[in-house]
Amino acid sequence: MERQFTKEIESLRLGDGETFHGEGILAVTKALLQSGVSYVGGYQGAPVSHLLDVMVQARDYLDDLGVHVEACTSEASAAAMLGASINYPARGAVTWKSVVGTNVAADALSYLASAGVMGGTLIVLGEDYGEGGVVAQERSHSFAMKSLMWLLDPRPNLSTIVDMVEHGFALSEDSNTPVMMELRIRACHVHGSFVAKNNVAPAVSMRHLLEGPPKEFIYDRLAHPPAIFRQEKLKNDVRLPAARKYIAEHKLNEMFTGDVDDVGLVVQGGLYNGLMRALQLLDLADGFGNCRIPIYVLNAVYPLLPDEISSFSKNKTALLVIEEGQPEFIEQEIATHLRRADLQTKLHGKDFLQMAGEYNTELLVSGLAKFLALHAPQLNLSSGSLWLNSIQSTKGKAAALLGAMPQRPPTFCVGCPERPVFSAMKLVAQDIGRPHVSMDVGCHAFASFEPFSQGNTLLGYGMSLASAAGVTPMSARRPVAVMGDGGFWHNGLLSGVASNLMNKGDGVLVIMKNGYASATGTQELLSSPKNSEHSIEDTLRGIGVKWLRTVDNYDVGAMTKTYRDAMTTEQKGLKVIVAEGECQLERQRRLRPVIAKNLSEGKRTVRVKYGVDEDTCTGDHSCIRLSGCPTLTIKDNPDPLRRDPVATVIDGCVGCGLCGENAHAAVLCPSFYRAEVVQNPNLLDKTLRKIRNLFT
Amino acid sequence: MSLPERPITILIAALGGEGGGVMADWLIDAAAQCGFPSQSTSIPGVAQRTGATTYYLEIFPATQAQLGGKSPVFSLTPSPGNVDIMVASELIEAGRAMQNGYVSPERTTLVASTHRIYATVEKMQMADGRFDSERVIEAGKQLAKLALLFDMRKLAQDSGTVINAVLFGAMAGSGVLPLTREACEQAIRGGGRGAEASLRGFAAGCEIAAGTRSTPQPPAPPKQATEIDEIMRLGVERLTDYQSAAYANLFLQRMEFFQGKDKKLSAETARHLALWMAYEDIIRVADLKTRASRFERVRKEVGAKDGEPVVVIDFLKPGVEELASLLPPFLGRPLTQWAEKNGKLDAYNVGMHLKTSGVFGYLLVRSLAWLKPWRPHSYRYGEEQKLIEHWLTRVRDAAARSVPLALEVAECARLIKGYGDTHRRGKANFLAILDALVDNPAVSDPAAQAKAIHKAREAALADPEGKALGGALGKPVTWLKPVRG
Repeated sequence: MERQFTKEIESLRLGDGETFHGEGILAVTKALLQSGVSYVGGYQGAPVSHLLDVMVQARDYLDDLGVHVEACTSEASAAAMLGASINYPARGAVTWKSVVGTNVAADALSYLASAGVMGGTLIVLGEDYGEGGVVAQERSHSFAMKSLMWLLDPRPNLSTIVDMVEHGFALSEDSNTPVMMELRIRACHVHGSFVAKNNVAPAVSMRHLLEGPPKEFIYDRLAHPPAIFRQEKLKNDVRLPAARKYIAEHKLNEMFTGDVDDVGLVVQGGLYNGLMRALQLLDLADGFGNCRIPIYVLNAVYPLLPDEISSFSKNKTALLVIEEGQPEFIEQEIATHLRRADLQTKLHGKDFLQMAGEYNTELLVSGLAKFLALHAPQLNLSSGSLWLNSIQSTKGKAAALLGAMPQRPPTFCVGCPERPVFSAMKLVAQDIGRPHVSMDVGCHAFASFEPFSQGNTLLGYGMSLASAAGVTPMSARRPVAVMGDGGFWHNGLLSGVASNLMNKGDGVLVIMKNGYASATGTQELLSSPKNSEHSIEDTLRGIGVKWLRTVDNYDVGAMTKTYRDAMTTEQKGLKVIVAEGECQLERQRRLRPVIAKNLSEGKRTVRVKYGVDEDTCTGDHSCIRLSGCPTLTIKDNPDPLRRDPVATVIDGCVGCGLCGENAHAAVLCPSFYRAEVVQNPNLLDKTLRKIRNLFT
Repeated sequence: MSLPERPITILIAALGGEGGGVMADWLIDAAAQCGFPSQSTSIPGVAQRTGATTYYLEIFPATQAQLGGKSPVFSLTPSPGNVDIMVASELIEAGRAMQNGYVSPERTTLVASTHRIYATVEKMQMADGRFDSERVIEAGKQLAKLALLFDMRKLAQDSGTVINAVLFGAMAGSGVLPLTREACEQAIRGGGRGAEASLRGFAAGCEIAAGTRSTPQPPAPPKQATEIDEIMRLGVERLTDYQSAAYANLFLQRMEFFQGKDKKLSAETARHLALWMAYEDIIRVADLKTRASRFERVRKEVGAKDGEPVVVIDFLKPGVEELASLLPPFLGRPLTQWAEKNGKLDAYNVGMHLKTSGVFGYLLVRSLAWLKPWRPHSYRYGEEQKLIEHWLTRVRDAAARSVPLALEVAECARLIKGYGDTHRRGKANFLAILDALVDNPAVSDPAAQAKAIHKAREAALADPEGKALGGALGKPVTWLKPVRG
């Protein structure tokens, strides 16, 4: 695993009155233990990976507590795991990155929501309204509404987040309904503190086993007709009122008063801190949460509480709903309620604030200014408009001084085993033309950026081959799908490979077998080196793939040949290339301590670094166009007659060998060399060196 | 004491793997030691994989006692115009921060390293796609309240640490950070491993920012020859070394026409001519690869210590083209023509991993260098001289019409570079431009013609696949190799 949580695991043990310092998502982890959770599952993905990663690493401690932890193979298996709480009074929590996760888990979730739960169930969602930019397509709110699950969106400080976890379980049990808690990216990674409580050993656990299955068969716990009709009624008639009662009685939502009380703001909890900064810029708040405008903070964004809305709106001429995400679910529901209650309070929201995307400070200030200018014209808002003007002018000046600047998207790490595969694909494309490439989620999606610039579709995790199903029969040139081993086990095996075989499809599938779910923090997979008894190749053979080759990624020549064969062979049917090369991050993590130890013990160690001869390099950079390695870069040309920068290999090169392989496979240029520095040389090395020195 | 109105805000722009997260932790620790409430947040995600990412911190410079039970509400997102310290671990990232409005003249101290880590789009151009660093430095000086700009990577390397320590030091030394140097150093010590080196880096950054240590001078860029006399001298030297005094004389003869002509035109033509005449054939490469100075340079580049043997392995893959280039014209020409027609130019290449530092490998490569006297009788020599004359004639003709036009034509020699396929593409682009814009120009006005040539050349250099050049020439240029049989 990429990160070691040694320190963090210690803080999971904190007891009553001690202060926890750390990241938001780890505070959630601690809160789960404080809530007496029985089992935890999930699937990795930014920004919630750490929740599960730390639990996996803290297995010994959790075993003591009796808490079961499962690293699920997909969000669907995580969601289905919550089924344990339908019949038993066991608290369960799972986590994933929404939207992908919630979509994948949707089937199990809607069944779960119908059956209802006995033990509290909490789903911790990493939500992205735009800034993460990976999957800025929030869906949690709509899913919560249609499945009738409750959605918490706590104020982004650790105490509130921890409180909401604890309330979440109780709310879930009181209303027999699964609860979702969404955390924006920055809230997951916020570093703060809260006062801890003792962990609670779960009532039902690996240490306090159930006596057996439920004493009687209860058909109503199956989400299946005819029980499901009763469950649908229960949702609205019993569970929803119970949830509203709990939220109201325990004051999950917060009301902050202010002296300008004929207007009011309604805000999602997660946006509260940003709103306070905006109000401070408008001179309407101080830095400690005191504000002149009353604010109604929704830590529970679904369901809403009509009574609370009425009491907040009463005697106010206008409300502004500050709600990220589209469409404006909260605003619409408030509007419906105001209308039904015949309250004449004016309602604003998306008319003053943008529909989609993150609400940053600039947006909030200008939205608030519009609202207040209309409904509280007595307020002096000049500080806000001065600020907005000044940033416009600063940005304008910077744009004039700098012009267009080079973008720096993420790319493959130094020595990444996936880079050579794309070098090979680029080379073959020069020969046979560019094929349709369906991409997948994972590190290999970086090949969509320069210098590879390929990929025509991206349809989700493990979906690349499936997304080529319709393209293949219509294409003169065979399309290719790229998939990571993470995606393969998550979904690709069934959605892609099985479906292709069943439909006697054609096409080429390249599986990047790097051994881990690398993009999310190198979590282990079924086929990770530690679990080598499960191989991708055996699975493919077993399912009936006839054309199957495993190739060493770094051998660009062999990869080029195999890939060209796959693309041009007359043989019909799915052709799978398993591109094998261990994730370089993991490899280096393993090798570094070994090398350091060998060196300190005086053992002979060969360090490999590649380099470029600056006097034969002509500065055409074709090597870079085939690689994009961060350590293969350029420097000023040392030749006084030449102008264009020459290629150079800088420190950090891990000696993967791609430079030399590319130079060979593409017949690029003779400038690359491989240098083997013999550290702690032995007698033979020294003698050889003396002989060589006579010549060179 | 009255409470400060707002927290001190710090935005850190870094690249994945530079220790931005560790620096955020140091700041939080140091703030805790001073008794100040603080908060940090970040958006790592996949950006940690070598992409650009940011960390944001707020520190409220008042102790719990001063706050008297109040707790500040921290923002999780930075906002333009509200950043006290903008930190950038690389120069372009500093520029990006300025474009996003995070550096304001009223408030922001800009702490940035001046070194460059080039983005892929800058590196991959045929010519020089690098963004001009001076523009960012100038913008920093204009836009920041205080700009602390120096090469912090170099200082980090000298201190045996990572850049984050130097950046942290520079923040502490700027006087804007409300934390004591002791608290900062204690935070680094608390981080454990590598603390001593980090502290050295911290001290360097801190003292330079505070003005108590002088800013290290960046190494001077390599010298470029621009004056005609110097270029002529270097050209003669190079060609004598490359072939012979007679060959250097040929260079002088070819340049005779330009005597007394425009200085810049003569200088540029001479520069391109010298480089072209010293074209990189297998003999030249073998010669350069087996010089003692080369092995010394490699040792230095890979950081080998005294007493550590270095084995150097070269990647050579000679094929039909290389063989043909060495043969006499009556054999070389038909072989090349056959290979071109049948798509066999790259078909029979022999990949060799030659241990040039070893006795056998050295002698093998050196023996190729010994073919130097044969060069003037080789097929490629004749071809290159023909093409050089083809180009020179056009430069001379253009010089009679207009100096700027001649300069543009001369500059087209820049297109021919690289080896193998890259070289062939470059040559084809060069010929396409000469044909379309020099020999058969659509316009007769020399200025317009020069402009068109300039545009086409830039297009060819920016996009080696030839799409942009096709656009500039008004006809498609495709480089799909013939399918091999």
